[in-house]
Amino acid sequence: MLPRIAHEEKAETGYRPAARWKNLWVEIKTQLHGFRNFRSILFEMAYWLAQNPKNRGLLVLAESRITENRLNEEMQRAARVFHPDALSRLSVAISKEGRYHGLPKNLGNEFTSWLDALVRKGSGSPPAKTRDSFYLILEILMHQWLLHKGPMTTDWLMKAVGCSYPTVAGALGRLAHVLHRSSDRKVELRNFPKEEWARLLAASDRIRSTVRFADVSGKPRPLENHLRRLEKLKIPNLGIGGVVGARHYHPNLDLIGTPVLNFSLHCPDGVMDLEFIAKLDPALKLVRDPLAPAQVIVHAVRRANAFFQPRKEGLAWADPAECLLDLQEAKLETQAGEFLEALQKRVEKPSP
Amino acid sequence: MFKKIAAAIPKSVHPNIVVIGSLAAGYQLLQPGDTESVRTKDVDCVLAPRISAIDSGRTVAEKLLAAGWRPRTEDEHGKPGNAKTPENDLPAVRLYPPDSKDWFIELMTVPEPGKEAGKRWTRLELSSGHYGLPSFDFTGIAAFNANPTEFGIACARPEMMALSHLLEHREFKRVMIHGTNIKRCNKDLGRVLAIAWLSGPEVFENWVVPWGKAIRKCFPSARWAALAHNAGAGLRELLAHPDDLQQAAETCSNGLLARRSVTVENLKVTGERLLAFAVEELESWR
Repeated sequence: MLPRIAHEEKAETGYRPAARWKNLWVEIKTQLHGFRNFRSILFEMAYWLAQNPKNRGLLVLAESRITENRLNEEMQRAARVFHPDALSRLSVAISKEGRYHGLPKNLGNEFTSWLDALVRKGSGSPPAKTRDSFYLILEILMHQWLLHKGPMTTDWLMKAVGCSYPTVAGALGRLAHVLHRSSDRKVELRNFPKEEWARLLAASDRIRSTVRFADVSGKPRPLENHLRRLEKLKIPNLGIGGVVGARHYHPNLDLIGTPVLNFSLHCPDGVMDLEFIAKLDPALKLVRDPLAPAQVIVHAVRRANAFFQPRKEGLAWADPAECLLDLQEAKLETQAGEFLEALQKRVEKPSP
Repeated sequence: MFKKIAAAIPKSVHPNIVVIGSLAAGYQLLQPGDTESVRTKDVDCVLAPRISAIDSGRTVAEKLLAAGWRPRTEDEHGKPGNAKTPENDLPAVRLYPPDSKDWFIELMTVPEPGKEAGKRWTRLELSSGHYGLPSFDFTGIAAFNANPTEFGIACARPEMMALSHLLEHREFKRVMIHGTNIKRCNKDLGRVLAIAWLSGPEVFENWVVPWGKAIRKCFPSARWAALAHNAGAGLRELLAHPDDLQQAAETCSNGLLARRSVTVENLKVTGERLLAFAVEELESWR
């Protein structure tokens, strides 16, 4: 099982931990360094546990400067205040450099993999930070430009991304040098925004919450079989990207075979539900090392409109901007260049 | 070994013989050179259909004994019984070939269709005394729609042997194999994993249809649905217990997976795949 948010059992305060593993409810706090904020979340969880006596709680501090010793001191103080029952069901762990300190025992490797994925995506953090919204807007502009969709209004962009006017206006200001503004105040890309795209690519893992899976069976399945199984499983909100997706937009892509399967997962609420991976193939396990071989890679698409294209066999096609990023991430530079050029040169406008 | 067994058995009963167990699995799943690694001691021969099992069994056993095959006498019920011996105390027909004590042949039969009553014995009267043909609940599944071989006798399909073990061990009983510290369920479910690993996911994702046919045919009443409903329960238990899985992997590495670098982790995900690709669908059938 992988990250999934449950939608129940809120405390009177309106709080509910971010994710659940059986009866263990988990909250992840990334880069929480101060004890004031720590106490605040500890109180929230204690209130919640008092109201949910059959459940347990786990607070994970990821990339925190709080040390184990300081944490123990703080928990001793908390023991004087909190009800012993609630505190006995609450654990606090520190996640540092891929290791956990203070996790409850006997939760097993599957739990650790699940927690890894949760920590990686920093559950509980806002779905899209403002600085990342710029890249979401950039991707949409690229999508429209690659498919020759024509200019768009700021309002349309706000709805497509799911963000405010100042955010869109700010992004368009940053991109002014590559934008064409028409007399009716609509905008579109004038040419390929090379520098901004390179910055997006450099931070792509974080911005797209890239998650990689490798086969540990000793008998990896042909990637086409993964696709067929996903079609059969009818997984929603999943777009095929990467080489396979690029071939949909540019059938003559100069590449034999499919080195890896890329999927774009539409999650406008910021929550990546990766449970489908276990259904797809239980032999696919999360890999942390971005340089380690992977058979399946999943990226989050956080904007309001995924711009996926439906597919008659099931699933959908990820948008061409996602496919381009996938090719570039896979270091298929020649094919990425060819893909970009082919779509730019395309005269006819594909149906939306 | 298939050739030897087929040559020793009268051709008239060849159509009634199905070899099951590791020898059958190895014959179909391993390359010719690799089958030597299947160090089986017992060659299980199922006499089917049940209606002709006694006649076929008598023909086979008498022919083998006349040809110098010798009864295995080391077992608890090693000597032949007589008319007064209760069926449950009768010895099985276990015969060593004339030139070796490394392996032996064992005769068994299938249960009556629809019957599920554990291990049962059917009396087999030979000129040297009384023997018994054992049948188990799911032997009929193992022998279902067996593959013919070039030697005349048939060979149980790997997927049917896997299903028979899955059904047999739906309940994860901690019963040891006599004289060992190996749990029967670990050995049998380990064999399921080995068969699945050797077959590969592209093959076993298509097992659910033949499984459904076999289980409906062998258990024609509503019983089949109850059996199918929790077909993977034992396998799930095995995968959830590292010590048992380790023992299952060890039995595999001494059998079908000998000389192959298959890790416990490989077998675990093979089991998870088998559940996801085939067993869960069977369990969902109503």
